[in-house]
Amino acid sequence: MDNSTYVLFNLTDRLPIIFKCDEISVIFGITTLIIWTLCAYYSMRYFKKEKKTIRYAFFYLMTLIVLLCLDLAGNLVTFYMFYELMTLMSVPLVFHDGTKEAITSALKYLFYSLCGAYMVLFGFYFVYSNAKTIEFSPGGVLEGNITPDNRGIMMLAVFLMILGFSVKGGMLPMHSWLTSAHPVAPAPASAFLSGIIVKSGILGIIRTVYYIAGPNVIRGTYVQNTVLIMSMITVFAGSMLAYRDRLLKRRLAYSTVSQASYIIFGLMVMHPIAFVGAICHVVFHAIIKTGLFLYSGIVIHETGRKYTDELTGMGKRMPVVWWCFTFLSLSLIGIPPAAGFISKWNLCIGALKGNIGISSYIGPAILLISALLTAGYLLPITIKGFLPGKDFKGETDKIKISPFMSIPLVILAILSVLPGLWPKPLTDMLRQLAGMLM
Amino acid sequence: MNTYDLTIMNICDFGLCFRMDGFRILYVCIATFMWLMSMSFSREYMAHYSNKLRYYIFSILTYVATVGVFVSADLITTFLFFEIMSFTSYVWVVQDERKESLKAGETYLAIAVMGGLVMLMGLMMLYNLTGTLRIDALNSAIQPYLGTKELYVTGCLILFGFGAKAGAFPLHIWLPKAHPVAPAPASALLSGVLTKAGIFGVLVISCEIFAKDVKWGTLILGIGVITMFLGAVLALFSVDLKRTLACSSVSQIGFILVGIGMQDLLANENMLAVRGTLLHMVNHSMIKLCLFMAAGVVYMNLHALDLNEIRGFGRKKPLFKGIFLMGALGIGGIPLFNGYISKTLLHEAIVEYTHAMSEGHVSAYMINVAGMKTIEWIFIISGGLTVCYMTKLFVAVFIEKNASDKKQKEFDDKKDYMNPLSAVALTLSAVYMPVSGMLPTIVSDGIADLGEGFMHAAEAGARVHYFSGTNLIGAMYSIVIGALLYLTVVRKLLMKDGEYVDRWPKFLDLENSFYRPLLLIVLPNISVFVCRFLDRIMDYTILLLRKTIYKDAKLPIEPTEGDELTHYFGGIADDIIRGLNENVLSYHPMEPEVEHKLAIFRKYYKENTSIIGRSMSFGLFLACTGLLLVLAYMLLF
Repeated sequence: MDNSTYVLFNLTDRLPIIFKCDEISVIFGITTLIIWTLCAYYSMRYFKKEKKTIRYAFFYLMTLIVLLCLDLAGNLVTFYMFYELMTLMSVPLVFHDGTKEAITSALKYLFYSLCGAYMVLFGFYFVYSNAKTIEFSPGGVLEGNITPDNRGIMMLAVFLMILGFSVKGGMLPMHSWLTSAHPVAPAPASAFLSGIIVKSGILGIIRTVYYIAGPNVIRGTYVQNTVLIMSMITVFAGSMLAYRDRLLKRRLAYSTVSQASYIIFGLMVMHPIAFVGAICHVVFHAIIKTGLFLYSGIVIHETGRKYTDELTGMGKRMPVVWWCFTFLSLSLIGIPPAAGFISKWNLCIGALKGNIGISSYIGPAILLISALLTAGYLLPITIKGFLPGKDFKGETDKIKISPFMSIPLVILAILSVLPGLWPKPLTDMLRQLAGMLM
Repeated sequence: MNTYDLTIMNICDFGLCFRMDGFRILYVCIATFMWLMSMSFSREYMAHYSNKLRYYIFSILTYVATVGVFVSADLITTFLFFEIMSFTSYVWVVQDERKESLKAGETYLAIAVMGGLVMLMGLMMLYNLTGTLRIDALNSAIQPYLGTKELYVTGCLILFGFGAKAGAFPLHIWLPKAHPVAPAPASALLSGVLTKAGIFGVLVISCEIFAKDVKWGTLILGIGVITMFLGAVLALFSVDLKRTLACSSVSQIGFILVGIGMQDLLANENMLAVRGTLLHMVNHSMIKLCLFMAAGVVYMNLHALDLNEIRGFGRKKPLFKGIFLMGALGIGGIPLFNGYISKTLLHEAIVEYTHAMSEGHVSAYMINVAGMKTIEWIFIISGGLTVCYMTKLFVAVFIEKNASDKKQKEFDDKKDYMNPLSAVALTLSAVYMPVSGMLPTIVSDGIADLGEGFMHAAEAGARVHYFSGTNLIGAMYSIVIGALLYLTVVRKLLMKDGEYVDRWPKFLDLENSFYRPLLLIVLPNISVFVCRFLDRIMDYTILLLRKTIYKDAKLPIEPTEGDELTHYFGGIADDIIRGLNENVLSYHPMEPEVEHKLAIFRKYYKENTSIIGRSMSFGLFLACTGLLLVLAYMLLF
C-alpha cells in the first residue's frame, strides 16, 4: 500500500497536520462509509415526521467528514484535533429530540468525551516531548526513546492515552455516557454512534498501542495487564447489565459496551491472531450493531414500543424485520457460520496463544460467558416475537415497513452473515498487517 | 473400507472437511431412512397443525445439518453443523406454540447454546494445543500432551457440549421436557438421530483423543452408568407415554456411553465394546423411530398421552399392537430381537474387562473387581427396568381396558386410526427389530463391521455366540428382574385404585429445583449487584465532585407562566382564533391556547439552556475554549 503522506499545514515546525492512508485507515474508512450511507438512507424515512432535519443532516454530514479525516490522520496531533471535533460534531445528533433527557445525556456525553480527550492530551504532551516524531509508524515510535529515567512517566502517559481513548470505547467504569446517550438519540444516530463513533475510540487505542507506543514497549507491563483486566470485567458486566435491562435501546447500548471491550481485549493481548480477531470484530460489530439499532428504530417508529417485553408477537406482524434481527443476533452471539464467529474464534485463539498468563484462559472463558448472555438478551426477543404462544391476544395484522427503512436493515443482515462464509480477503490482509506490526 | 474425502477450502476461514467411511455412510443412511419414514408419517400426523410449511422447511434444514455433522472430518466443521442443527431443531420443539412447548423449547435452546459455547471453548483449547482439528490427525497431534491436566480439561469441555446433545447425566434434562411436546415424528428424530450426533462427538473424543486412556474410559463409564440407571428409573415412574420413551432414550444413551467407556478401558481388546456400542446406537435409533411414531399414532387419535386416558387404545388393533410389540421387545433386550444382540455384546465387554482385571491384564483407575461386578449388576438391573417400563406401557395401552366403558367402545370402534402411508412407514421401521435380531450373523454383524475403522477396533477376537447358554441366562436375569419389578413396584407402588399415578417427587426435578434457580436467579442477581456498582461508580463520583468542588449556578425562579413577550403575542393569536371560531371555523372551533403553548415553549427553552449553562460539561467546554484562545493568541502574536 502506498503510504505517501499529505501535509495540510504546519502548526509549528514540529507539529504538521498530515494525512496518510494505511491499512487501518482503509478498513475504518470503508466501514464508516458503508454504515454512514445506510444510516443516511434510513434517515430519509425516519425523520419524515421529525423537525429540524436540516440541523441533523448538517451535523451528520460534518461527522462523516471529521470521521474520515480521523481515519486518515497521519500523526497524533491530527488525530487529536479531529477526535475532539468528532465529539463536538456528534453532540447535536444526541440531543436532537430536544427533550430534557436528551440534553442531559448529550452533556454527559460531552463531559465524558472531553475528560477522555484530556487524558489523551496529557499523554500526548509526554510522547511529544520524548519521541523524535509523533507520526504513526507501524511498530511504534517510542521504542528506543525510553530510558530508565523516563520509563515510569512514559508508561503512565501511554496508560492514560489508552484509558482516554477507551472512554469513547465504552470501557467500564467510563462507559455511562454510552448507555444514557443511546436510548435518547434518534435511532440512526444511535446506530452511527454505536457502530462508528465508539470505534473511533478503538482506533485511538490501535494508533496508541501499535503505531505510537509499540507492542514491545507495552507487552508485559502493568499497562497491558490493567487494561486487559478492565476489558474483561467490561465484557462480562456489559452483557450482564444488558441481560437485565428492559429498555430495548439501552440493552443494545450495554451490549455495545461489552462488545467494544472484546476489541480492546483483543488489541491488548498483542498477539497477531488476536489482532486479526479484534479488527474483524471492529468491522463486524459495526455492521451488526448498526443493524440492531436500525431494527430498534423501526420498532419504535412503527409501533412506539420501547421495552423488550412489549414486543411479544411482533415478529408475525413484521416478519422481514424480525428475520433480520434474528440473523443479526445469531451473528452477534457468534454462531457459525455467521461473521461474529470469525472474530470470536480469532480473539479466543489469539488470547490462548498470547503470552498473558492466566488471562489466556480467563479471557476466552469470559468471552464465551458473554456470548451466552448475548444469547440470553437477544434470542428471547426473537422467540417471543415469532412465538407469542397459543393464547396470545394481541394485534396480529401485518405492519407495512417503508423500503427506505427495511432495505438498509436487510443489507446489514446479509452483511452480518456473508463475511463469515468468506472472510478470506479481510483476514489475509489483517494477518499481513499483524505480521508487520508485531 | 474405502474412504472418500472432500475439502472445501476457505469457507469460514478454515475450510470445511468432509469424509465418507463405513460408520459415516451407515449413519447417513440411517438418518436418511428415518427422515423418510418420519416425514411420510408427518403427512398424516401434521394434517391438523398450523405452520406446516415451517415444520417441513426446518425439518429439511435439520436433516442437512445432521448429515453435515455425521460426514464432517474436522471438529470445526462438526461444530458448525452441530450449532445449525441445534437451532433449526428448536423449531420442532415449539411447533405447536403451547405454553409447555415454549418452556421446553427454552430449556432445549438454553442447553444447546450452553453446550455449544462450552464445547467451543474446548475446541479452541484443543486447537491451541494441537494446531489442527482434523479428526484423523488428532491422535498423532495430541501425543505430546497425553496425560496432561490441560488435555483432560479440554476433553471434558468438549464432552460437555456433545454430552448435552446426547442427553448424558446431568444434562439430560431437556429430553424428558422436549420430547413429549414436540410432534411425534420430530421426537422420533430428536431421540433417534440428534442424540446420536452428540454420541458421534463423544466417540470422536473417546476414540481419537483419549484412545485407550483409562482415566477417560472410567469417566465415560461412570457417566454412562448413572445415565443408564437414572433414565430407567425416571422412565419407570413416568405416566406419560412419550415422556416414558424420552426417559428411556436417556437410559439407552447411558448403555451406549457404557460401551464407549468400555472401549477405552479394554484398550487393545475392545472389539466387543466397539461392536456393542455401534449396534446399540443403530438399534436405539430404529427402535425409537418405531416407538415414537407409535406414540404419535396414539396422540394423533386421542390428543392425549397420559397412560390413564389412553388406556386400552391399542386393543383390537393387531397391526398397531404388532408394531409396538416389536419396538418393546427390541428395546427390552428379549432374545431374537435386536436389542438383545447389542446388550449381550456390551455385557460381554463388561464381563471381559472384569475378568481381565482380576487376572491383572489391564490397567484400571479407581475401579476394582468388586466395582466392576456392581456395574455389571447395575447394567442387568437397568435392563430389567427397561423390560419393566416397556411392559407397563404395553399392558396399559394394549391389554387393559379403559376405566370408562364408553371410551373403550370408542377406541374399539376406531378402525381408521392411521392411513396406509403411515402404516407402511411404521411397519417398515418395525421390521428391522426381528430381522436383525433373528439373523444376527448376517445383519447385525454386517452393520457392526462398518464401524470398526472409525472407532479403531482392535484386531478381530473370538466372535460371540449370541445364543449361547451364558448369554441367554444374562438376558433371562434382566427379564426376571423386570417381571418382578413390574409385579411389585408398578402394580403395587405406582398404581392406586387401578389408576397409574405419578409418584416421582417434584423436588427431584433437576431443572426446576436446581438449574433454573441457579442460572436464572442466584448467579445473575449476584453478578448484577456487582455490575450495577461498577455501572454507577463513575456517575456517583462525578455527582460528588459537582456537589463539592463545582459551584452550581442557582436555579432560576419562575413563579408565573410566560413573560411579556409570550403574553403579548399569545394573547393576540388567541384573540384571532376566538374571532375566527365565531365566523369561519364555527363548525370546527379551535382552542385558543396559543398563549399557553408559547409560555410552555419558553419554559422548556429556559430550562434547557439553564441545564446546559449549569452543567459541568459546559464549564469544561468554556475552559477549553479559553485555552484555545490563549493558544491562538500565543501562536499568532
